[in-house]
Formats: sequence, C-alpha cells, structure tokens
Amino acid sequence: MTEPVAPATTAASPRSTTATAPAPVPRTAAAGLSTGAPDPSQLPVVFEVRDLSVYYGSFRAVRDVDLDVRQHEITAFIGPSGCGKTTMLRCFNRMNDLIPGAHPEGTLNYHGVALYGPKVDPVEVRRRIGMVFQKPNPFPKSIYDNVAYGPRLLGTKKRADVDAVIEESLTKAALWDEVKDRLKESAMGLSGGQQQRLCIARAVATKPEVLLMDEPCSALDPIATARIEDLMQEIKTEFTIVIVTHNMQQAARVSDATAFYSTDVNPESDRRTGVLVEFDRTETIFSNPSDERTENYITGRFG
Amino acid sequence: MASDPMPSPLRTVFHDELDQLRLQVEVMGIRVDQNLERLRRALREGDEQLVGEALAADDEIDDMHLSLLERCYGLLNREAPVASDLRFVLSAVRILSEFERIGDLALRGIKLAPQADDLAATGAAWDLVLTLVDVAVEQYRTALRAWSAQDLGLATDLATNRPSFASYHERMIVEMRHFEGPEAVPLAMAVYAAGHAADRIADHAAIIGARLRYLITGEAAHLAAEVR
Repeated sequence: MTEPVAPATTAASPRSTTATAPAPVPRTAAAGLSTGAPDPSQLPVVFEVRDLSVYYGSFRAVRDVDLDVRQHEITAFIGPSGCGKTTMLRCFNRMNDLIPGAHPEGTLNYHGVALYGPKVDPVEVRRRIGMVFQKPNPFPKSIYDNVAYGPRLLGTKKRADVDAVIEESLTKAALWDEVKDRLKESAMGLSGGQQQRLCIARAVATKPEVLLMDEPCSALDPIATARIEDLMQEIKTEFTIVIVTHNMQQAARVSDATAFYSTDVNPESDRRTGVLVEFDRTETIFSNPSDERTENYITGRFG
Repeated sequence: MASDPMPSPLRTVFHDELDQLRLQVEVMGIRVDQNLERLRRALREGDEQLVGEALAADDEIDDMHLSLLERCYGLLNREAPVASDLRFVLSAVRILSEFERIGDLALRGIKLAPQADDLAATGAAWDLVLTLVDVAVEQYRTALRAWSAQDLGLATDLATNRPSFASYHERMIVEMRHFEGPEAVPLAMAVYAAGHAADRIADHAAIIGARLRYLITGEAAHLAAEVR
C-alpha cells in the first residue's frame, strides 16, 4: 500500500446483524473460570465492512455486508454454495481485481484505510494479506524454493536470510521437523496435508498480517485437517485469519466469530444474490443464533 | 430481491430420530405417571398388590432410561447436533433423569401401602399428605404435557410458580405432635417420608419446567435459572 496504514487501536463492540446490545461478560469469566481469551470487544478491528456489495458487471453477487474482522481472531464464513462467501473473502486481498467487471461498492477498510482506494497498491495488499486456497497448489519446485519464492520476490537476496525465513515459515506451519532434511526435494512428493501446510508456510513467508483461507481442508483427510486446525489456533497469535468453510463443525471448532451467508433469489431473473444473514461470536451462532435461517442451516433442517 | 429460495428439507433421518426421541421420552414419562397413579391409590387404598406392579414398572422405567440415554449419546456421537438440536438432546438426557428420579420417589411412597390403614388413622396429618401427593402429581402431569407439546407457557409456569408446600409441612408437624402410642414414631416417620417424597416430586416437576424453558428459548438467563 502506498497510503499509510496505522494499526487501529480502538474497537467497537462485536456486531451482530440482529443484536446491538453490548457483549455480555462471558459466563465463564463471571464464574471465575477465565479461559484466558481476551475480551473480543477490545481487539482492534482489522477489516471494517459496511454496506458492502460486490458486483460482477451489473450483477450484484453479494449485498449489504456489515461485519468487523478483529485482530488475532479467526473469523469463519459459512453458508450454502453460491452465497458469496468466497467472493467476500477475495475482496479482502483484492483477488477479485483479476476478474473483469468485478467491483465492490460500500466500505471495506483495512486498519481504517479504504482497501479499494485509488492510491492503494494491490500487490502490497496481497503481501500483507496472504491467501491459502482450497486445493494445495505448490509450485513444481523444491520445498525450499516454494517457500523462498515470496521473500526473494520481495528483495531478500542473501542466502542466510532466505534460509532463516524458510526455517521460520516452515516452523510456523508445523512442517519444519518433517521436511528439514529434504528441503531440496520436490514439493510435489509431499502428502496432501503436508502440501497444504507448505502453502501456509509459503503464505506466511512474506510476513503478512492476515491469512485468508478458502476451504483449506476440503481436500484433506481428517488427520491432516486436524493438523491444519491446530496450526490455525497456534498461528492466530501472530496472524488474523479469515476462513471460508463448508464444514460447520470446523467453523465451530476453530473460529472466534462466524458470519453466516445465505441467498436471496430474484423471482424475475431467478438469479441469486448472497446476503449476510447473521454475524456474531461463534459460540452464539452455534448455540443460540438470532435468525431462524441460521438455525435452519446449522442444524441441517433446510438448505 | 424479494425472498429466500424455497428451502428443501435436509437431514430428515436425524430429525426423525429427534422426533422419535421426544415421543419415547414421553412414553417413559407416561410409565412414571402410571406409577404416580399407583402411588395415589396405594396411599388411599392400601392395595399391597400395587407394590409388586410398581416395582415391575420401575424396572421397566430404568431400562427405558438406560436405553434412551444410549440413544442420546449415540445422537451426540453420530450427528454432532448444534443449537436447538443440541439443547434438545441435552435436555432429554436431563429430563430423563428427572423422570427416573420421580419414579423412585413414587416407589418410595407406594411401599407404604401395607401401612395405609394405620396411616389413615392418623387423621389430619395423613389427609395433608394425600393433598400434597395430589398437588405433586398434578405438577408432574403439567410437566409431562409441557414436554409433549414443547409448551413454553406451561414450562415457564412450572419453573416460576412452584406451589409452596411449606405451610402444609408446618401443619403436618403440628399434627404429628399429637401422635401417641408405641407406633407414634414409625407412623410420624412414614407420614414425613410420604410428604417429603411429594415435595420432591413437585420440585423435580419444576426443574423439568426450567430445563424445558431453556431448551425452547436457549437464553442464558434461563440456563442459569435451570442450574439454580
């Protein structure tokens, strides 16, 4: 980004599309059973989204999204296929710029700076806001070169410096111990779960602040999925994570806040537009959601 | 954008299982109700045959309790229910325990059948016990109706308007002071035990109301009320 980005120091109360009351004191804390988790309302807002709609040409794919993504939290986007979760996720690092005609309308601020402002450099956005995709997509190169790619592109040239970034990134991705003796081997020889952790290492190697994860475990077996979920909990102390998932149990397990999206249908054109139905703390969404549509979706009554 | 697309039902087998669970909890509740009716008759008529019937029915209740608990754990394992479905299964687990406990309390009273004539001879104290039992059974039946219909109004009424038995107990104690003769103490203990069982049955009915209220609303304040 060319515009200065000041870390936000103030934060509003957690928002819900249906409830505006201040967050209650967690019952565990009131009972002297602190979980050690910080009060979410005190965490800085990384992304502030207000009345955001996303268009593909003249078609509005997602409309009227209001939510805050808070620092060092995992925010999950859930909802049926076609509800706009991935479209919203891709707005956060301007990946939609690559699609002709795609454009957002409304407010999408990153630490108070308009992410789609005219002076904002999309490349710098993507350095700060990394992405991990649904299917592991390592380059057909060595494990070392996969992780070194980003730092080298950003100007890290000395071998020792690159080595340090490699070890640090692979350690953060919980992969170092498994691959440290075969860094020069092809990344394509790793298992699916290892490849996905390699992609996480590759994403964190450029030292982003935010990691966007688009169904990162959908191609993985339960063991590899558990490793990635554990990893997410470990690295959220350093990163802010937004994850799109179809696995509601995964959203319930890993995330701090959850946004449930659904679709409206235009009866004339039969086209669907994604809508944010409810955004709240994950424990509220999965225990006592405010909106009947959320309840019906998470309990699997209707879809 | 006028409306949501017409939703289509999903997980129908799971939700059929929840419906079936609700009915089977109700069936167990009816078995308990049958023993409560035996309790009323045993205390009034002293029919000792009712003791055997009630013991057999209680064994059946215990078996149903175990079977339904296993069903609940199976649903938790297999289906990972959330939100209202999770509250439903957890409420079923807890309400089953309330039913089972009420069944035990009924049995405790029914076992007094052989002493019914002697207890009836105590007069006003025993009349108070019979009144307490009637009130308690009525509370229980309200709880059972609330469960069957998942009725928030009935549940709230049970949870918040539990009839006070304190004045009955005070009057019972006053009456028991007049007991005389070598059987005075055993009779007083039997009267007290039956009155206490009725009191506990009404308590459990109120707890069922509180649990049901939280199941239906999911509100944290109602969970707190249920626990307390």
